[in-house]
Amino acid sequence: MIAVELRKLFRRPRTWVTIGLLNALPVLVAVLMALTDLAPRPGEGPAFLSAVLTNGTLYPLAALAIVLPLFLPIAVSLIAGDAVAGEAQAGTLRYLLARPAGRTRLLVAKLVSVFAFVLVTVVVVAAVGYVVGRLFFEVQPVGGTALSGTSLTSADIVERTVLAIGYVAVSMLGVAAFALFFSTLTDSPLAAMLGALAVLIASSLLFTLDAASSIAPYLPTRYWLAFVDFFRDPILWRDIVRGLGLQAVYVVVLLGAAWANFTTKDVTS
Amino acid sequence: MVAVLLALPALIGALPASDAAAPAGELRARALASVDVPFSGYAQSAGGLSLPVGNQLTSAADLLSDRTTMRAWYRSADDWRVDVVSATGETGVHRDAAGTWTWQYEQDAAARTEELPLALPSAPDLLPRALGRRLLSEAADDELSRIGAARVAGRDALGLRVVPTDEAASVSRVDVWVDAARGVPLRVQVYGGQTDGGGPALDTSFLGLDLGTPAASVTAFTPPPGADVRFDQQQEDLLDTARRAVAVPLPATLAGLDRRVLPGAPGAVGVYGRGVTLLAVAPLPGRAAAGLRVTLNRAPESVIDGRGVRIAAGPLGLMLVDGGRGGSWLLAGTVSLDALAAAAAGLPPTRGDR
Repeated sequence: MIAVELRKLFRRPRTWVTIGLLNALPVLVAVLMALTDLAPRPGEGPAFLSAVLTNGTLYPLAALAIVLPLFLPIAVSLIAGDAVAGEAQAGTLRYLLARPAGRTRLLVAKLVSVFAFVLVTVVVVAAVGYVVGRLFFEVQPVGGTALSGTSLTSADIVERTVLAIGYVAVSMLGVAAFALFFSTLTDSPLAAMLGALAVLIASSLLFTLDAASSIAPYLPTRYWLAFVDFFRDPILWRDIVRGLGLQAVYVVVLLGAAWANFTTKDVTS
Repeated sequence: MVAVLLALPALIGALPASDAAAPAGELRARALASVDVPFSGYAQSAGGLSLPVGNQLTSAADLLSDRTTMRAWYRSADDWRVDVVSATGETGVHRDAAGTWTWQYEQDAAARTEELPLALPSAPDLLPRALGRRLLSEAADDELSRIGAARVAGRDALGLRVVPTDEAASVSRVDVWVDAARGVPLRVQVYGGQTDGGGPALDTSFLGLDLGTPAASVTAFTPPPGADVRFDQQQEDLLDTARRAVAVPLPATLAGLDRRVLPGAPGAVGVYGRGVTLLAVAPLPGRAAAGLRVTLNRAPESVIDGRGVRIAAGPLGLMLVDGGRGGSWLLAGTVSLDALAAAAAGLPPTRGDR
């Protein structure tokens, strides 16, 4: 059943259109920056973007930083929100459940396909970023500079970029878990997607408020930008570890709720 | 399960700290003796002091008004590193025997500064260890008291309170939490002035601390290839300007505070007071004073009278005094507005720009 769901997801043109659109913004930013040779001023703009003019190997990270706040969560919640509610809306959920496979297996298959989408999307954004960075910007053969001012070899940069990609993917799993949970609550994929986005926007907003600092450590978006910490020297693990733990809690709790809800739900459509 | 997970941090935070019957004087001695304790730590400081200084002195003003996150590695008094960590970059100060390197990632620039007798406050001064030791160093015994214990950065910390007795003081009290085992100040809270909700005007605390010697490679610094490397002259120039200025003899006391002797500092600059009550006085050239005067005059909270313009942000006071013949005096420190006015009355006329 997992193979069926994966095939279904990656054969849909919509999946690839989503991934394509997601890559359009980093590519546009790269083209504009290469043409004008203007980098954002220090402290402004997404992480790493001011550094790519001198070192194109950092563009995969800049691309992730560009899509991370909004575009990536939209894409993930679009697909995850559609997982169960989409079948319900199309009237196919009944038929899927009529098979002897069972609801838990269906949910697991949906879950695996959503997680696969998250991973593929993040890797594609980074890969496109790599190609764009090589094409449009100078590439330093010796490596680059860490945020702390120490030199990194090319191997270091590759290793830390892979870690950062993994971290961003884990951060997106929390988004997927929200959307999947909402997807089991409603028959409307749009409602599920908007529900997940509403949570994230509320979380991002609360994070900027000093008055909400007591709940800040529990906000799902709190540690998203910690992927930057892989490029400090020594690596600052504090926020990374907390981010992974926090996402794990959200994923476990929300998937548990999704499972409890879906297995006991009265499916009518 | 969710409730248990949510309650966990609060429960751990509420673990009682074990108190020890250390008297205040002994605890202070231990804190001051902790200068040789090496450590690696992660600290955060939050300040609610917004001084309207415009474009001048922004880095110093930002330190006191923002939340600053720092990583620190300390091997000895002249071998340490403090990084100010931001979401998209980092500013690292690396200290070695001859001076400091300041690395700014987003500017891709490294600046070398020689050791100076007087310098503007920077992030390393905000670490609880440095600030705590500084504020405790000159406190008199009758200003000190014990205030129980707390857990800071997962360690037992013993509380020490300083209530300054100077009449000019604007700081109402300073709470320093000192590590029970090794004496390192772990948290410093400075209260005073009008702050919202009675919270501290400045609160700096370790969130994580490891008392082991960090590797030498961590504190060392070599400018990376391609970086913009320069010799930072800004503070040196400021000092030179002050040295060149014809030193007007400053009085031995101002607003009831005694003048301090600072070896190597220019004679035109005077520092008065002790402990947490300090007042710095310096002549300002006409151009610099004009810009600051405009900014201060515009600030709604400032008090303008015949002597000049003065303003307070929490316990910090700032005053610009017209010294006559185009010159001005700048007064800044942790003294009350009344003390600033009294100090201004005691100042001699400046000799102008030349």
